[in-house]
Amino acid sequence: MTTSTRPPVAPAAERRTVVGHAIERAARMPRSIPVLVTLALIWAVFYSQSPFYLSFGNLTNLTLQIVTTAILSLGVVFVLLVGEIDLSSAALSGVCAAVAGTVVVTHGLPLAVGIATAVVVGMVVTFVEAQVIIFGVPSLIVTLGGMVILQGLLLVVLPEEFTISIAGTPLASLALTAVPAGASFALAAVGALAFAGYRTLLHRERTSTGSGGSVLRSVAAPSVAAAVGLFAVVFVLSRQRGLPLPVLILAGMLLVAWYWTTQTRYGTHLYAVGGDREAAQRAGIPVRRMVMYSFLVLGACAAVAGMVDSSRQLGVSATSGAGPLMLNAIAAAVVGGTSLFGGRGSVWSALLGSLVIGSISNGVQLLGLSTEVQFFATGVVLVLAVAVDVVLSRGSLLPGRR
Amino acid sequence: MDRDDRPGGEGPLLELTRISKHFGGVRALDGVDLTVSAGEVVALIGDNGAGKSTLVKIMSGVESPDSGEIRVRGRAVRLDSPRAAAEAGIHTVFQDLSLCDNLDAVQNLFLGHERCGPSWTGRRVRRHVMERQAQQILESLSVKLRSLSAPVSELSGGQRQGIAICRALISDPAVVLLDEPTAALGVSQRGEVLDLVDRLREQGRGVVVISHDIKDVQRVADRIVALRLGSKVAEFARDGYAASDLVGAMTGAHERHDDVRSEESR
Repeated sequence: MTTSTRPPVAPAAERRTVVGHAIERAARMPRSIPVLVTLALIWAVFYSQSPFYLSFGNLTNLTLQIVTTAILSLGVVFVLLVGEIDLSSAALSGVCAAVAGTVVVTHGLPLAVGIATAVVVGMVVTFVEAQVIIFGVPSLIVTLGGMVILQGLLLVVLPEEFTISIAGTPLASLALTAVPAGASFALAAVGALAFAGYRTLLHRERTSTGSGGSVLRSVAAPSVAAAVGLFAVVFVLSRQRGLPLPVLILAGMLLVAWYWTTQTRYGTHLYAVGGDREAAQRAGIPVRRMVMYSFLVLGACAAVAGMVDSSRQLGVSATSGAGPLMLNAIAAAVVGGTSLFGGRGSVWSALLGSLVIGSISNGVQLLGLSTEVQFFATGVVLVLAVAVDVVLSRGSLLPGRR
Repeated sequence: MDRDDRPGGEGPLLELTRISKHFGGVRALDGVDLTVSAGEVVALIGDNGAGKSTLVKIMSGVESPDSGEIRVRGRAVRLDSPRAAAEAGIHTVFQDLSLCDNLDAVQNLFLGHERCGPSWTGRRVRRHVMERQAQQILESLSVKLRSLSAPVSELSGGQRQGIAICRALISDPAVVLLDEPTAALGVSQRGEVLDLVDRLREQGRGVVVISHDIKDVQRVADRIVALRLGSKVAEFARDGYAASDLVGAMTGAHERHDDVRSEESR
């Protein structure tokens, strides 16, 4: 940005308006659009290299590969929304999986007891972390320390041989269960009807206050689109053995999270706390409690992610929750459009971001490329995604404008 | 939204008695009295460091006084949190407006006072109700917005000020505190805000305006209280003063002439 290379005034101004208008229009779009474009590009590139990439089998495979990351990322989104960060939830997912394994496999208690215990343990751990954060220690430090402590705790929870094999136990059924194709389509139909019903409710509420638009635009068109999308996804994913249970778990959690963050008072308060803590405090919002709620959600998500993951790996070991899981979950949230600085983003970013990151690693493995390509591509996408976010929220390509 | 809880007669809505506040060794407020009646605009003037902001923070529940008593409608209250102040019926529009930039106009207007469905819906926000009320309130004060659902970060300074002040009407407070409401505004927007203060008075609320600006204060206030170095140094009734008296009280030039204090009963 040296002054000597600056072009004459008039062309510069003209170019700025063209680019500026484009950026301003892009900034008003939902944040999911750039992510979907990125995803389409990634799929196009890999598909051009191997037609098998977009086969039913590989798409199902891809979906199963991202479920753990997406569930964990969903919890991370909640924490990012209130302007905090978390580094410990992947390690926590390992601990929770070990707890569930101990309860179900070692002690032979029912699966429901194991799941409940793991979720409670997850929420207790994040509750403690949240208390320290509310006390005033930065969340980066609390969860960094928490991560190390949880890695130690995993070794304490695991038996002496440091592994719990869950093959053939009720825990393994989490990943193995699949809803038959017929029932899946029935579920899709129920989902589509529920969607249409909710849109109708909103439309009727709006017309009752005299601000409703046309039924076609606010109910019919979105409902048809949602139904087509839902049936297409179920069609693809249920081709092999039926709709896998982990996908249903993820879908259910996303739905609840969507409702909670966008349709309820708590959701507004969550965004308010992330947007401007002082303003939220002055409006009478219990800021500390909202931060705590976010961490409790994270704890529950980590527990579910841990159990689903161990069920897919058929075991819990000292490496559960280690590896790239934590960074992938954070990267997925950010790539999906959730701001690291709080207050902006949506629960869908967990799904979309995980899809982007998962699509890269899936493609790299499918093409037999070396692992470093995967690291390079994932890293570049992460930085690009944040750069796009910065440009859109600043409204200009040039630094320091506005 | 009847205001039938107003006590009969002319008892003050808000009554502060001998409020003192220290920050470490610094005496920010020293035995300050202040009363605000229904339908009255009281201006609080003073130079930087006079204690205006501390007094605002105490009335809005951000800070607690070391000593002194606060009564709202004759009832002693403890304003130990912003929520307690809001429940007591005191609404503060801070100088920084306290808007959440990432939320839209409707969400900001109703922040902390959302219109919600029953608890089995998880307190679902009744957006259509809020939008209609927001439109009515914004129209009644002629604040014009391009969109109710755009983040307020995309709005102009005057529009943001308008939203911040309209917010005062959502919870139907008895007393509205305005902290430097015109400081960041242009001439026409300044006039609009002062008209709005008149409208708050017409609604029978008590209004406290904190300001540096002598012209604004003269235009809008029924009574003017001057603070200097943490103490109340003068109080003027409407028309009972000259502009130079105000400046004198703020800067301390009149400190030795206590007779400048005008009669308190108008």
